[in-house]
Amino acid sequence: MLRIDGSRARFCDGVSRRNFLKIGALGIAGLSMPQILRAEAAAGVSNPHKAVIMIFLPGGPAHMDLFDLKPEAPSEVRGEFRPIKTNVAGMEICELMPMLAKRADRYALIRSMVNCSGDHDAFQCLTGRLKRNMPPGGWPSLGSYVAKVQGPLNKAIPPFVGLSPKMGHMEWADAGQPGYLGIPYAPFKPSGEGKDDMVLHDVTLDRLADRRALLQSLDRFRRDVDSSGMMEGLDAFDQQAMGMLTSSKLADALDLSKEDPRVVERYGKGSPANRDDGGPRLTSNFLVARRLVEAGSRCVTLAFSRWDHHGRNFPQLREDIPLLDQGLSALLDDLRDRGLEKDVSVIVWGEFGRSPAINKDGGRDHWPKVSCALMAGGGMKTGQVIGRTDRLASEATDRPVEFGEVFATLYANLGIDIAKTTLPDLSGRPQYLVDGFQPIRELV
Amino acid sequence: MRTYDGEELNVTRASRPCAWLGALRIVAPRLPRHQHGRDARVTYTCMAKAFACILALLLIAAAPAPAVKSLVIYAGGDGASTLHLHGEAARQQLAITGIYDSGAQRDLTHVAKYHCDSPVIKVDRDGLVTALKNGSATISIRVSDAGDASAIASQSLSVTVDRVGETIPINFPNQVVPIFTKLGCNAGGCHGKLSGQNGFRLSLLGFEPAEDYEHLVKEARGRRLFPAAPERSLLLLKATAALPHGGGKRLNIDSDEYRLLVRWISQGIPFGSPADPSVKSIDVFPAARIMERGGRQQLIVTARYTDGSTEDVTRQALYEANEKEMAAAGEGGVVSVNQQPGDVAVMVRYQGMVATFRATLPLGAPMGTLPPARNFIDDLVFKKLKQIGMPPSGVCSDQTFLRRVTLDVAGRMPSEKEMADFLADKDSGRRDKCIDRLLASNDYADFFANTWSALLRNRRARPTYAAGTYAFHDWIRDSLLTNKPYDQFVREIISASGDIADNPAVGWYREVKDPNQQLEDVAQLFMGMRIHCAQCHHHPFEKWSQQDYYSFSAFFSREGRKANNETGQEIVYHQRGIPSAVNPKNHQSVKPAGPGSAPLDLPPDVDPRQALASWMTARENPFFARSLVNRYWKHFLGRGIVEPEDDLRETNPPTNPELLDALSRYFAGSGYDLKALVRTICQSTTYQLDATPNQYNGIDRQNFSRYYPKRLEAEVLLDAVDHLTGVPTRFEGMPAGTRAVQLPDNSFNSSVYFLTVFGRPDSSSACECERSDAPNLAQCLHLLNAQGIQQKLASPGGRAARLAADTQQPDDVHLRGLYHLAYTREPDISELAAAKGYIEQALSKSKDKDKAATRKRAYEDILWALINSKEFSFNH
Repeated sequence: MLRIDGSRARFCDGVSRRNFLKIGALGIAGLSMPQILRAEAAAGVSNPHKAVIMIFLPGGPAHMDLFDLKPEAPSEVRGEFRPIKTNVAGMEICELMPMLAKRADRYALIRSMVNCSGDHDAFQCLTGRLKRNMPPGGWPSLGSYVAKVQGPLNKAIPPFVGLSPKMGHMEWADAGQPGYLGIPYAPFKPSGEGKDDMVLHDVTLDRLADRRALLQSLDRFRRDVDSSGMMEGLDAFDQQAMGMLTSSKLADALDLSKEDPRVVERYGKGSPANRDDGGPRLTSNFLVARRLVEAGSRCVTLAFSRWDHHGRNFPQLREDIPLLDQGLSALLDDLRDRGLEKDVSVIVWGEFGRSPAINKDGGRDHWPKVSCALMAGGGMKTGQVIGRTDRLASEATDRPVEFGEVFATLYANLGIDIAKTTLPDLSGRPQYLVDGFQPIRELV
Repeated sequence: MRTYDGEELNVTRASRPCAWLGALRIVAPRLPRHQHGRDARVTYTCMAKAFACILALLLIAAAPAPAVKSLVIYAGGDGASTLHLHGEAARQQLAITGIYDSGAQRDLTHVAKYHCDSPVIKVDRDGLVTALKNGSATISIRVSDAGDASAIASQSLSVTVDRVGETIPINFPNQVVPIFTKLGCNAGGCHGKLSGQNGFRLSLLGFEPAEDYEHLVKEARGRRLFPAAPERSLLLLKATAALPHGGGKRLNIDSDEYRLLVRWISQGIPFGSPADPSVKSIDVFPAARIMERGGRQQLIVTARYTDGSTEDVTRQALYEANEKEMAAAGEGGVVSVNQQPGDVAVMVRYQGMVATFRATLPLGAPMGTLPPARNFIDDLVFKKLKQIGMPPSGVCSDQTFLRRVTLDVAGRMPSEKEMADFLADKDSGRRDKCIDRLLASNDYADFFANTWSALLRNRRARPTYAAGTYAFHDWIRDSLLTNKPYDQFVREIISASGDIADNPAVGWYREVKDPNQQLEDVAQLFMGMRIHCAQCHHHPFEKWSQQDYYSFSAFFSREGRKANNETGQEIVYHQRGIPSAVNPKNHQSVKPAGPGSAPLDLPPDVDPRQALASWMTARENPFFARSLVNRYWKHFLGRGIVEPEDDLRETNPPTNPELLDALSRYFAGSGYDLKALVRTICQSTTYQLDATPNQYNGIDRQNFSRYYPKRLEAEVLLDAVDHLTGVPTRFEGMPAGTRAVQLPDNSFNSSVYFLTVFGRPDSSSACECERSDAPNLAQCLHLLNAQGIQQKLASPGGRAARLAADTQQPDDVHLRGLYHLAYTREPDISELAAAKGYIEQALSKSKDKDKAATRKRAYEDILWALINSKEFSFNH
C-alpha cells in the first residue's frame, strides 16, 4: 500500500497527488520535526502576513468578452455575449459570470491596461517590466522580490510558490524567474520541473525512514564550523524536504483532502488536463493558492487554462468563463470568510487583450494595445472600474494603466516601500523594484 | 545650560566597556593609527551561533577598568585650539576623546558633561555647539567617575562667535542641495529619478544643482518657492506634510534645515555666485579607531572648500556601514558597534565626496601558541589576528588537507589511490608536492576554465554558436594549462580581433557587444571596479564621473564588426581612426583614458584596445593585480579580503590591507603567474587551518583565523555524486566520461536539472555572484529524492551493486572505501558500527532468497546517507 506510483502523468492529476499525500500523512515514528512545528506555531493564524495570488490567463484573454463588453458595437466586434449588471451600479461584466456579478463590490476592474509588450509569454505579468535593457541576470519576478525582501515567513513554507505545470507553450508555464536575485529566490514548483522530486521513486516510506535514521547516525559533521548560517539553512530545508515526503505543513497546504469538502466543492472541479498548449483548467488550484498563502507563502502564481483563441473564440470561452467565474468567486468568498481579504491581494490578467474584430475563424487575434485586469483583496478600494476604452474596446480612452502601476500597487499592498527598497543587480547597481510608477491611486 | 548627572556614566561604568583594553594591551600593543586604521571590515550573519562564544569571552573582560588620564577635544577643521563660529545658527559638533592610562583612546563625547560660561553659545548634551550671539565663551568639559562623583579629567575650549545678525547669503549648491540629499528628496525612488515624482524632479543625489534650481524656481508657476511668505512655499508645505505629500513628512518645522530653507527663500532664493567656493573634499574624524565591542563613536565630518575654509557637516552627511550586522551609523554621526569582533567601515558621503571611518573591534582573547608561519600570507594574517586578539584554529589533518586542496585546485574529490599515496608519503614536503601535482594536472585547467568561461560570458546564445563556445572554452583551458601569464591572457581577450574560428579569444566580444557593457565588464572583471553608475551620473560612492566613464569607453570606440561570409561568423577588427567618445553631460569629445589616469593621444593606426591592455596590465596599475588576487583568495579561503570580491573601492576597505597589498605585489612581481599564486595561497598555514573553531574564533568570518567551509558548486557536487555512486551523468553531445566541470558552455544547464537546480551560472554576467551558494528547498529535495539520484544508487553497474556483490571482502573494507571516497578519511569505530549494523539489521529481517537484493539496498541506503550528509556537500 505504501508503494507510490510516481509517474508524471498521474501526478499532474490532483487525485493521485492527494493519494500520495494521504499516504504521507500516515506519518512515521522518529520523523517528528519539532523545529518545524515550532515555526508553525510561531506563524499561526494569529500572525497575518501580506500575500499576493496571481492568476495568469495564458494567451491573452478577450477583454471585450470578459470584463469590458461593448453591446453597442457592430456585430463583427461585439461578439456573442451580453453584459449583465453587477451588485455595483454601472459596473457590468459578461453574462457568463453571474457569480462574480454578485461580488463586484469585492474587486476592481482595470479596463485600460496599456503598453503590453505583445510578447506571447507571462514575463510582463510576472515582472511588470519590458525585456529591453534588462540588467545582467534579468529582471526578477514579483514573487522572487518578495522572497528576497521579506524572506520566508517560516521555514516550513516557501515564500514563493509557482503552481503552473509544464505546458506545450513553455513561456506560459513560467511561474516567475528570480532574475539577478539568483536561484535561491526561484519559485518552489510543486508541479514544475522539481515535481518528480516530490514523489518517492522505488523507495517506500519505510525505507525512507530507515535512510533518514541512518543519515542521522552518520551525519555528525559539526555545524559550528559554519558561522555563515548556510549549514543551518540547509538543515532546515532538508527537514522541510523530508517533511514533504512524509507529512508536513507544505504537503498539507497542497493537500485538498485536508480542506472542508464543502469549500472544495465551491471552487468547482475543473480539469487537470492542460488546455492544448496552455495551462490546466484547475480551479482547485485557486484553493491550493489560498491554502499556501494561509500557511505562510507570500506569493503564489498559477496559470489557468488557455485564452489564445484565434478561432472558435466563443465556444471555448463558454467552457472556460463559467469555470473562472466559479473558482474566482469561491476564492473571493473564501478570503473574506477567513479574514484574509485585507492581507491577500488577488490579480487576474493575461499578457494582452484581443482584437475587437472577429476573424474568419470566429476567433480574435492578439491585441497588445489594451487589456484588462481584475484586482481584489489587499485592502484595496474595490467595487469600481478604472479606465475606459473606446466604443470598440480597441484603445484606452481614459486613465491608461501601466503594468508598473499594478506592481507598485501590489508591492504597496505587501507592505514594501518601493521608494526606499533597492536591491543590487549582478553589476552591483542598486535597482528599484518598480521604476517610475506609483500605486494606482484609485485603489490604495 | 543644562548639565547631566552621572546616570549615563553609571551605565557605562557598570558594563565596564573598556576593561578589555587593559588585557588587550598585553597581547596586542597598539600600532600606529594609520596602520591599524586601514584594517576595516567584517561580516557576520550568525549572531546566535556566536552567543556561547561571546559568553566565554565576557570572562576576558573582567579586568578592572583603567582610569581616564586626559581628554582631547576635537572641534572640527584642522583641530585648532579655539573654535570660531560665523553667523547665525552656525554649529560645530565636538568630539571628546579620553586617553587612558593604558594609552587606549575612547570616545567620551556622549559621556562628558558640558558647561558654558556665557550665553553666546549653547552646548547640548551630545556636544553640539550652536552660535547664539556675537562674543566669546569658554566651554568646560568634564568626565567624572561615577563612583566618587569627582571630576577625574577635564578640559576647556574657547569659542568665538561673530557675524550673528549679518545676512550671509545662502549658497544653493552648498547649503540647500545637501538638505535634499539628507532628507532623501533626490533619491532614486523619489524626485531624483529621471522622470521625477508627481511633476517635480531633482537631480539624483543633487549632482546637478543648476538643474535643481531651475526646477524649483521656475516650474509649477513659481508656487514652489514664495519669498513674500517663505512658510507658504509649496516646497516647505509638502516637505513638512502640511499639504499631502506622497513621501510623507520629511522635515520638522523646528529643525535647523527648515530654518535654513526659510532664510534662503526670504533672502530671495539666491543661487550663489560663481565666485563662491565649492566643496573640494571631506574628511572624517577620527579616520580610524580601535573600539570596544558594543561601544559608540562620535564622528565629525568636515567639508573643505576651494577657498580653504572648512565647515562642520556632521549633521548633513550620510552614513552607511559596510557590514550592517556589525555597526549602525545614525543621525548626527554617531556610530554604534555590536559585539562581533573584527573590522567595519562606515562610508560618509556629502556632496559627491566620500570619506571612510574604520573601526577595529578587538576580541582580546589570549593568543596561545600560533601555528608555524610558512610564508608572507601567514605573517600578515597572524599579525592581524594578534592585533585583534583572535587565536587561530590549529592546522588541519593530512586527510582534510588532501580533500580540501583537491576540491579547490582540481574541482573534484580525491581518488582512493591519491589518498593512499598521499598518506603513505612520509616526506615532510608532501603537502607542497600534492599542490604541485594538482596544479600540473588537466583537472586544474578544467576546473578554472569552468569558472572563467562563465565570467567571460561563454554563452551558447544560439545553437550555431556551439563551435565558437567550444573553441573559446578550449582556449581558456589551454591558457590555464600552459599557465599563460594573466596579463597576457587578459590582453588577448580585450584586444581580440578576427573570426572566432581563427582566434577563439574573440568569444568575449561575440557575447559582449555594446561598448558600455564592454567597459563595465572589463572594469568589474579585471579591475574590481563597478563603474556603471557613472554612465548616467557621478558615482555616488566613488570619485568616478561621467568623464571617467566615457574616457574609458573611448578605448572600445574603434572596434568594428563585419560578417565572414565563408564561415557565417562575425569578424571583430580594429577600425582605423582616432578613438574618442562623447561625454553626454557636456557633449564634449573625450580621449581614451583609464580611470584616474591621463588621457592618451593615440594615432589612428594603433588599436586602442591594445593601449587599454598596456595601461591595465602595467605593474603600477592599482587595480589589475589586486582584483585578481582578491578573486582567487576568495576562491580558496571562502571570503574576499574585500567583499564582494569585485567591488574594490576606497569606501569598501579590505579587512587586511597589508595582506591584499602583499599578495598584489607578489602576483605582479611573479609576472602574473596564476599557478604560483595558487601555490602560494595553498602552501600557507592560513589556508591549511582547521575549519573547526576553538573557544574564541567560532564567530570569525573575516580574519581567516580558520578555514570557512564552502558548499560544493553545482558541477563539483554532481561529479562527486557520480564518482561516489560510480554512475556518470551523460551530457548530450559530449563524449562519455565528460565530467560536469568540463562542460564547455551554459547550454547544459537547462537540460540537466541537477545543474539548473543547484544554480550553475548561465554566463550572463561578469559577476561571480551569478553563482549563489544560498540553499533552497528544491535543491534539498532533489538530493534527497530525485529519481536520477535513486537510479544512480540502484544502477546494476553502480557502486552499491558492486560492493554488495563482492562478498569476498568484509563489509568493513567496503565501508572504509566509501568513507575514503566521500570524506577522504577513515570512519571512526562508531560510524563503522552504525553502517555495519544497518546492513546486518537489514539482512536479519530478510529471507534467504532476498539476501543479495537486501545487501544491495542497504549499500544504496548508505550511499544515499553519505550523499546527503553535510560533510559530503561541503569543502571544509
